[in-house]
Amino acid sequence: MQFENLVPLRWPSGPLEIAMRAGSKSFDAQVQQTLERWHDPASLGFLKDSSIDCIAISWAAGLPADAEQQRTAQPLIDAARSRHLAVVGWVDGKADSKAAIAAAKAAGLTAVALPGEAPDTDFPVLAWSDRAAVNWDSTAPVVVIGDNVWPGVSLAAPGADASAGPTGVPWLDSNGWYIQMACARLKAPLWVTFDPPADKGAIPAESYVKAICDSEAAGGRWVIALDDKLRADLAGGNTARWKDIASAAGFFKEHAAWKAYRSLGLVGVISSFTGTDLDLTGEILNLMARRDLLFRAIWKSRALEQPFTGLKALIYVDSELPDPPLRRKITEFVEQGGLLITGAAWGKTGQPVAPAFATQFDLLTVGQGRLAVARNAIDDPYQLAIDAQLLLSHGRDLVKIFNSPSSGCTRYTASPDGRTAVLQCLSYADRWRFGPRTIWLRDGYRSARLWTIGAPAAAMQGQPAEDYAGVEYHLPENAPKSYLALEFARKGRA
Amino acid sequence: MNRRQFVTGLGAAGFALLQPARMRAAAPAPPVAIGRCKSYGDEFLASAAKMFDQLGGLGRIVKNKTVTIKINLTGDENTRQGYLSQGRTFWTHARTVGGVIHLLDRAGARRIRVVEGAWEWPASLEEFMLKSGWDPNLLLSAAPRVELLNTNMPYKGKKPYSRFPVPHGGLLFPAYDLSTAYAESDVLISMNKIKEHGTAGVTLSIKNLFGITPTTIYGNKVPVDEPAPRPYAGRTDIGHLGSRQPPKSSPAEKDPTSPRQPGYRIPRIIADLAAAVPVQLAILDGIETIAGAELPRLGTTEAIQPGVLIAGTNAVTTDAVAMAVMGFDPLADRGKAPFESCDNTLRLAEELGVGTRDLSQIEVLGEPIKNVVFKFRDHGGRRRWALPGAKWPA
Repeated sequence: MQFENLVPLRWPSGPLEIAMRAGSKSFDAQVQQTLERWHDPASLGFLKDSSIDCIAISWAAGLPADAEQQRTAQPLIDAARSRHLAVVGWVDGKADSKAAIAAAKAAGLTAVALPGEAPDTDFPVLAWSDRAAVNWDSTAPVVVIGDNVWPGVSLAAPGADASAGPTGVPWLDSNGWYIQMACARLKAPLWVTFDPPADKGAIPAESYVKAICDSEAAGGRWVIALDDKLRADLAGGNTARWKDIASAAGFFKEHAAWKAYRSLGLVGVISSFTGTDLDLTGEILNLMARRDLLFRAIWKSRALEQPFTGLKALIYVDSELPDPPLRRKITEFVEQGGLLITGAAWGKTGQPVAPAFATQFDLLTVGQGRLAVARNAIDDPYQLAIDAQLLLSHGRDLVKIFNSPSSGCTRYTASPDGRTAVLQCLSYADRWRFGPRTIWLRDGYRSARLWTIGAPAAAMQGQPAEDYAGVEYHLPENAPKSYLALEFARKGRA
Repeated sequence: MNRRQFVTGLGAAGFALLQPARMRAAAPAPPVAIGRCKSYGDEFLASAAKMFDQLGGLGRIVKNKTVTIKINLTGDENTRQGYLSQGRTFWTHARTVGGVIHLLDRAGARRIRVVEGAWEWPASLEEFMLKSGWDPNLLLSAAPRVELLNTNMPYKGKKPYSRFPVPHGGLLFPAYDLSTAYAESDVLISMNKIKEHGTAGVTLSIKNLFGITPTTIYGNKVPVDEPAPRPYAGRTDIGHLGSRQPPKSSPAEKDPTSPRQPGYRIPRIIADLAAAVPVQLAILDGIETIAGAELPRLGTTEAIQPGVLIAGTNAVTTDAVAMAVMGFDPLADRGKAPFESCDNTLRLAEELGVGTRDLSQIEVLGEPIKNVVFKFRDHGGRRRWALPGAKWPA
């Protein structure tokens, strides 16, 4: 079974799901009825002609209802298999994993998703965990990570502005930074799980599309999870909201090749990305993504084997200094013209220079490069993200997007052979008060195509920016706001 | 009289301020030049040079002087009117600044500084320009001895800020603490586009001065006692709303019980600044701009091409002529266009003795006003942008 490009849909149904949800605030007779109806093979009907090719059903949770769930799910499983759908059995923490696997095998499931270490088995087991317990060396065919956020403009954050104008910087919830970081380490495809906000009622299709795009643009795949109302609608044959969701999922299935593209970001963040280091570096990644400061996450354990080619700056703020070989490699990067932003523990070597703005860093020249050493403990990732962008200088920007409120998590990547590049632009704004967008790129390309969900590619003509370097692309006024991608072909190449 | 003389001594204008009832008659009324201009290249350079000659020549004003050009890079650097660059719609155009720098150098200016305090920008002005897609080299290469300064930030040196008392005691604040760059300046040039404005009626050379207030002192979230080491946010709380005072190290408002309305406060702050930091040369770009507001607003603003330049040696007289070119009456009171929701800034500045807004007293050189009138209210959406509290009349 190839798990590489499956598009999974969470399929809550049956007695086990009812037992798990009974007593919760959101559980009522209608929810129960929907869970029952989704256990019926006929409920699979709305998946016809969609890109969804995997359903993730509740399989075991260590509850008395496990056995009944597995028994009654058989018609659903059979129907799914006959539709060429992969079926993954979701196993919760307290279940007996060996028994769950055996039952899954017997029932003809494609795989199970298990928390923690997979037992020794020849049956496909997806490694499922929350962020805090990820086995980064997992050899599972898919790694599934939970504990994620519902992407969008956060109304919970202090000072959040739902209108999300470009002059404000509202807080955005996004998993993009985490997914980029995780994908830089994992060998297997990454699926992420999160549920629609339970207290928001019917979630607009647009929000689902944003949730899909937030994961996909970063290189991951969301195990699509629908709200109760939408599942009830689908059980009743109302597919109005579903069409856009399916279309978005299908778009990324068609462009799966983009996931192998490498970041063109100029800033590398080197970290262990664990424990208290992750508290700081994770937030730095998050805020850099919010500011569209394109980055590359570099796991410390792999930093020696990865070239720093294309990077102009490195950030190293882990609590422990790197081992001597990595320190040497970083120092060479600086001496050859790079910028290192780091904590006070790194030490100050080089010739002090006055920074052009009030910053928490002392700036020194080392060889042809610069060293920015924090004067005090770094405890403000927001300020660090700002300072990093200024120390690097906007003169090095690769991308600028005009008239794009609440944008962030822009990804600019290139194919392994360098012949193609893709710029994926996201906006999380709920309302739009601004005119058509312009995308500025420093790089020039032979040709460009605009990709939007549900539409064929459209050729785009760039034009030189006025009185500035680079090329501008004027997006059509009706271009979708939440997500679009520009695909470029390199100059001088076929 | 240059700025240094003004700041240290106050002159005749300051004396005249003691008698507000006679101010309009007493206010200076130097001439204003108008020129047609449809593009930002050589045509701009030729038009500007001709207008400066009409005003008596640049050398008379700037020779051997430190000249400070206050440009206008208002709002967010990622916003555009449609696809058009900021310089063609709501910011000072880089080529106009480059052209003026060239002319200043030719006229013998000793040092040229381009200044702006853009929003909460915490770094150099060059960096802000780069972020915006505005090439600073267009300015830096236009002449030798050109500097770019972000006057939001503390001025480098022993004295980061200097105090500028407002003649006549001020309308809202008795004095303003500004970057020492302004105190070191002999000649201040205000360069921006002609636009409407939500809380000041119009953005002209006087309104442009609002951006000289450093956001380390007049910005939101500044400390209670001392200026912030770096800017954090815009000027809404202290400027527009009056919801707090500047740090204690700077003068507080004269009357904390005065109206907390943007339409009352902003015109007064601007008039105060126009009196405290006089503009020696106002250059207003009406080649291309927007109608409807000071910033792009979907459904409200419209890109327009009035094709006109206006320049003068007095900010109020120049602004008065510009208002007439825009189809407005500079004598209009609050409630009449474009001051539907605010006081007439020109009137307040006139009462502070800065200059007259009475067109009958202002000699217009070059193109007559009637030949270049471009009615802004014929363009843009009806719903003009305004802060809460400002209402479009029924």
